[in-house]
Amino acid sequence: MNSFVNVLLRGGFLLLSVIALQPAVFASVDDAQSFALQAAETYVKQGFQVREDYWGGDLGSGEKKAVRQQLFKGNEYWFWLGTEVDRAKVSVHVYDSDGKLAEEPDGWEKGHFAAAHVVPKTTGSYFIIVSVEQSPEERTHWALVYGFR
Amino acid sequence: MTLFTKCIKVSVIALSGLILCAQGAQVPQHIDIKQLSKTVEDVVVPLPNEIFGALNKLGAVNWKEHVRSDKGINFTERPRIALLLGTVIADGFVAVQAEDAPAVKEIGQRVLALARGIGVGSSITPHAKAIIEAADKRNWEGVRQELDRTQNSVQQAMNEVHDEKLSQLVSLGGWLRGTEVLTSVVTKHFSTDGAELLHQPDLLSYFQTRLQGMPEFNVPIIHEIQDALVQVKPLIDVGNARIPPESVKKINEITTRLGNGIVTRD
Repeated sequence: MNSFVNVLLRGGFLLLSVIALQPAVFASVDDAQSFALQAAETYVKQGFQVREDYWGGDLGSGEKKAVRQQLFKGNEYWFWLGTEVDRAKVSVHVYDSDGKLAEEPDGWEKGHFAAAHVVPKTTGSYFIIVSVEQSPEERTHWALVYGFR
Repeated sequence: MTLFTKCIKVSVIALSGLILCAQGAQVPQHIDIKQLSKTVEDVVVPLPNEIFGALNKLGAVNWKEHVRSDKGINFTERPRIALLLGTVIADGFVAVQAEDAPAVKEIGQRVLALARGIGVGSSITPHAKAIIEAADKRNWEGVRQELDRTQNSVQQAMNEVHDEKLSQLVSLGGWLRGTEVLTSVVTKHFSTDGAELLHQPDLLSYFQTRLQGMPEFNVPIIHEIQDALVQVKPLIDVGNARIPPESVKKINEITTRLGNGIVTRD
């Protein structure tokens, strides 16, 4: 009986530990994508079509990742970056193929969300630079979605 | 006290300005692209409606004349089905632009049949249903969204079973059909801005690299596409120069030939 209680207690403790650790252990790029889409919500009402496809991964504090994207003159684009890590600070900026900053001045960064606005002057390849500026986590999931109109 | 309040307000405004300036200054105005080469993710293939949207802004387009009724025969080779699936999804975007509900519904059914042909039918069924329902209601934005979801779900399902190459062929099929329609529109009503939409050299290089990594797909149409991309590259990779009408026409001839090759048996 004693051993049964022992096993039950240990099992219960293990189960509780797994539940408690779940957000940290099982958080994923999909969670980050949910936040990126949350940032895009307001813009959908303004007529932006948000792509289903997205980029994602994880970065350490201070690390950057560049995404190459074909943009078309005549369209207007917003890129939204999100992470599920509450106290992380992220940023997103857009450069043209010559490496020149190509975004409008109304981009923003609010904690674990960031956005960049582009009205391409020319059709061609652009570089979207995503960065985890600060984070309490060793690795921080990120997801980048974009919309156009 | 009033003076003190004013001073506080001025200080707050000045401080806010300084903070904003500091934030602005933190963003480099220029970066060295060559240094990024190791950290750059692959090119993301734009959907045809992204290009069609830009094209629409240049003037009215008669989309109805670009709606295609021939959706291709039934293939057994998976690479051919994947290419055709991408093409048919692109046709869906054309039909949405034309607001052609019967064509959209037919495309919804065709997409489902092709997805079944490469074993990803179950993930597409709800999207195909939603496409048909949205077309019935003439909810074009809904159809657009479902077509995007369809392509995404097809590709995700393929990636999950490590069929990434087939997933890339879906993108390629869509890009070729989109380019065929774009060049057809611009050939008829030439404008430099319209021709500039073809300036996609990195995307073309991306497809060339991907095709080189598919030696196991030994089907004639894949080889034809590889050869055709070699011909198209110099026509669109023009740097800061303009793409002339004759190049647009040439690309249209090439992509139309490939489009016919994708929907018909060798």
